[in-house]
This record gives sequence, C-alpha cells and structure tokens, in this order.
Amino acid sequence: MFDKILVANRGEIALRVIRAAREMGIVTVAIHSTADADAMHVRMADESVCIGPPPGTDSYLSIPSIIAACEVTGAQAIHPGYGFLSENASFVQIVEDHGITFIGPTAAHIRILGDKITAKETMRDLGVPCVPGSDGGVPDLAAARALCDEIGFPVIVKATAGGGGRGMKVARSAAELETSFRPARSEAKAAFGNDEVYIEKYLGTPRHIEIQVFGDGKGRAVHLGERDCSLQRRHQKVFEEAPGPVISATEREEIGKICADAVARINYAGAGTVEFLYENGAFYFIEMNTRLQVEHPVTEAIFGVDLVREQIRVAAGLPMAFEQETLKINGHAIEVRINAERLPDFAPRPGRITQFHAPGGLGVRMDSALYDGYMIPPYYDSLIAKLIVHGRDRPEALARLRRALAELIIDGTETTIPLFHALLDEPDIAQGEYTIHWLETWLEEALGEGHRDT
Amino acid sequence: MADDTPNKTHADDVAFIRALAELLNENDLTELEVKRDYGAEDALNVRVSRKQKIVTSAVMPAHAAVPAPVPTPAAAPAAPSQSAQTEISEDPANLPGAVTSPMVGTVYLQADPGAPAFVSIGDKVSEGDTLLIIEAMKTMNHIPAPRGGTIKRILIEDGAAVEYGAPLMILE
Repeated sequence: MFDKILVANRGEIALRVIRAAREMGIVTVAIHSTADADAMHVRMADESVCIGPPPGTDSYLSIPSIIAACEVTGAQAIHPGYGFLSENASFVQIVEDHGITFIGPTAAHIRILGDKITAKETMRDLGVPCVPGSDGGVPDLAAARALCDEIGFPVIVKATAGGGGRGMKVARSAAELETSFRPARSEAKAAFGNDEVYIEKYLGTPRHIEIQVFGDGKGRAVHLGERDCSLQRRHQKVFEEAPGPVISATEREEIGKICADAVARINYAGAGTVEFLYENGAFYFIEMNTRLQVEHPVTEAIFGVDLVREQIRVAAGLPMAFEQETLKINGHAIEVRINAERLPDFAPRPGRITQFHAPGGLGVRMDSALYDGYMIPPYYDSLIAKLIVHGRDRPEALARLRRALAELIIDGTETTIPLFHALLDEPDIAQGEYTIHWLETWLEEALGEGHRDT
Repeated sequence: MADDTPNKTHADDVAFIRALAELLNENDLTELEVKRDYGAEDALNVRVSRKQKIVTSAVMPAHAAVPAPVPTPAAAPAAPSQSAQTEISEDPANLPGAVTSPMVGTVYLQADPGAPAFVSIGDKVSEGDTLLIIEAMKTMNHIPAPRGGTIKRILIEDGAAVEYGAPLMILE
C-alpha cells in the first residue's frame, strides 16, 4: 500500500479523497493555486504545495507542476478526482513514465474510451448496445429508406461534418424522411461544405441512466447498478438518484452484467461509468467516463461501499474488497448538487460565505469544502456542496432530502438550494417521472422570463 | 577546541564570535563561516547564521507544508543569534526586492555539485543572469534575474523544495 498520495484536485472531491486516504492511514498531499491557499482541502491534507497562479491551466492543469509536487513531497501515487486531468491520457502516460502510480485506469484505456468514436466501436464490439444507425454516410434516399425499415422511426438525419445541434432533421415516418432527406443534404452542403449525412435512431424522451462499473485491472469486474441522472440543465446534472425509479431488477442485472463483462474483458482498472440513454426498455450507449463521478455517493450509499478506497486498493495492486454476489442494494439514495449560482439565470456567484451550517442526522451526508468565512474564488467550478440522503425507500429518501435542505444554511452568496425546494413540490419528481428534457422544460415554465440563455 | 585550551583563549574566542555575529547583523548577511588554525591539533571553526523563521513560514504555510528542509538555524552562540533574529519581521515575499519561485521544484544554487554558486550575497547581477536552478520533472530550469541589482539575501538552501511563489532571494 502507498505511504503517501497526492490529490490533484480541489474542492469537495479533494476532501473526499483525503478522507478515504486518511482512514487507510495514508499521508496526503494537497496541491493548490495561490487563490486556494486557504481552501479546506489544503487545511485538511497532511502536506500542501502551491503549484501556480489562479487560472486552472497554470495550476490544477499544469502537468509539470503536479509531477514536480510529487517529486518534492515523495508522493507515490496521484488521485485525480474528477474534471481537471482525470481523463487526460497524456497526463496519465507522463505520471506512469515518472514511476508514479495513477489511481485510475491506464493511459491506453482512457485514450480508447475517452474518444467518442473509438469508445462506441469498442463498446459495440464488447456487446454493449449502442444507438442503431448508418455508421457512416448515407448516399441516397433508397439507402436511407432501407436503413429506416431496419431501425424503425423516428430517426434523425445529421450532417457528418456538423456539430453543436446544427444540420439535424428529425423524421418520424417514411413520408417525413422523403421530405427531409434531400433538404438535410443541401443544408449540410450550405452550412459545412459537405453534403454527407448519416442517420441514427432518434430518441425523443429518453432518460439518462448510467451503470457504475469497477475493475481490478486483472480481468475481474463488477457493476454497482445504475444511477438515474436525467435531471439536467445544459448537460449538467443537478439531481441524481439510485436505484433508477423506472429500472427493474431484471433490467439492472442484464445491462449491469453486459457492462461488467465488457470492462472485465479489456482488463479495466478502477471506477468507471457507462452512460446510456434509456427509452422504452432499451439502453443505448452514449459514452464512458473513465473516472470517479461527481454523483458516486448515491451508489456508495445504497451498496455501503467506499469507491475511493477501492480505487486506491486496486491501484496498489490489491484485490477489490467486493464481489458481484456480495453487492446488494439497500434502500434509495438521492444527491443534489448545490452551486454558487443565482436563480433564475444560474449566473455564477463567487463570494464570501458568512455562515455555513451542514445538515445532519440519520442518512444524511454532506460533501462540501465550505466553511464559515470561506471565499469562493471566481476561477473554478461553481459546485460548492453535494447533499446526499439515504432512506429505506424512495419516499423516505425524498422526505429526508426535504428535511435536510431545510436544515442547510449557506449565507453570504446565492445558491441553487431554492431550486431543490421547488423541485420537491413537483408531483413528477415525487413519482420519478422525468426525462432528460424535463428540467429544462420545467425551468422554462417555472422561471419564465428570467430563465434565459446567457 | 581542545580540552586544554587556556581560559584566556576561550574568552578571546567568545569575543571573536560575538564580533562575527555583529558583522552578520551590520551587513545583513545570513551566514558566515570562519576557520582559524591555531596549531596542528588546535583549530577554531565558527559558523554564524541568522535564524530565518519567516522564510520557513513563507515557504511552508503553517498548517500543512512541503517538507522543505528548514534553513539551518544557528550553529552560532545563542545571544548574538537572538539579536540577529529580532531584525527580521516582515514576510520576505512581500519585500520589493523579492524574487519568487515561478514553479514548484527543487532548488540548486550551483550548476553541478561542487561547482561555485551562481550568485553569492553582495554580488551584482544583470537582468537575465542565472540566479539558481529549479528542477521540476527532471528538467533543470535556470531562473534568471528579473532585473539588475545586488543580491541582498538568499532565502533558500541548496536542495530545498520550493512552492510556486516562494521567496528565493532579495535582489535590490
């Protein structure tokens, strides 16, 4: 086991890693920018190194500084947290080349699974269901018709050279395909100088369901069920729960096994998440995250495991502390992400915290780097706290969330706490009936004029 | 010092050391080493250095820190060392002449072990002259003088670990 690890991150996730390491008797090294000299992760770590000025590119993303910090402190391993360098294959390669252990998958795995196209090819080859489509350009209407007969409507016609939502047309029937295929091509030509289009099955009202996997790097892997993270605003998750309100035990077992087997076959090491869109009982792979996720605590709550501890163990060459047979779901967990943002426009609100009071009691977990008098710097992510509740079932978890939110006090800046109070009053949330579009639609209606794109 | 050193010589030695300490203070030096050979078996070796509490706390925040070697305090007599210490009260990083570290790494004051130091206290340097080396990721980074001036103080020891922003030298 390692004697000393360096945590290459900040905020609540740095604390999360420091806590796990401390329980394991491992000395921790925090890195920080000049803006974070008084940050909680610096205070909580055994040692700290200032690695650069405030901008992330000069500090938390500065690979030479982080390697040098390992060298001067003698840290044997690096935990990357999430974000920053956690999915940067060249960083992992440099870490490995310096004889330091990266707590996470290999550079090769990150490279393969981090690229959307190679990830999709790899996952499909490993038996993971993907969004059916043309896998390349569709030359003419006849070919388009033949494909749609096979995959079924609705479909979406996309420009191969397009991106960012431009050059896309949805066709809900054969008739619509007739009228939209040629315009899609000419629009693609006009917009991107290339008239090639491809066709995919269109998912109108999917949920975002992700499967937590964990591998030992030696051909063994397990799954830890799913998380439903459908409640998103601009592709940012705000509310996550496990187990998913609409996923049956049979579905969980099937898709979980597919994912676990897939990562086992490539000798994947550590925590990973296989993300899917889910509609009408079918899973469609979107991407894989080769790291610990922000919302990992809901999985920890219902399985009673410490995923960071497992990451460190596996990185040190030890076996996983659990097997598929011993992993049993206990109850229901929900996480809400509290951001220093002003409603209704979600504008970031850095500033000094005058009072912070974390909720407590049975089944409540608060992962946050806040403290009284803390100055939220303007340079980084606006996530300031994660409130996680665990109950025997979903209604109990919802009631506990309502109770805990009422206890929570964060004064001195504006936060997204009122959003969660409002969401808990919504029947759809109470019943777990939402898709990936639900939150944006609701915000549009509930917040109306004030909720505009910035 | 030999055991049979007469009392008179001992008193002389104390006076000598005291004078050295005063010299250290007057000239704003951090360290001074003198060797006197009285005879084959009889030598006096004195190293007077100024205790630099503030440097330590600047390089290493009080709560948690890089295990940088603490600048060796006083192989010097207690009394003069104390009087030297009282003079420094401000954080060297905030002094107008402070040269701070542009990166995390290990400091080397000379190009190779055994080679002469790039600069010594009292040296005049021009802008761009190498002051020291910081090793990071097995790369030796020459740290140039940001401006011309005189080296007033050297705040770090050879082989010390430094953070970004740590004060290295006072150049005025």
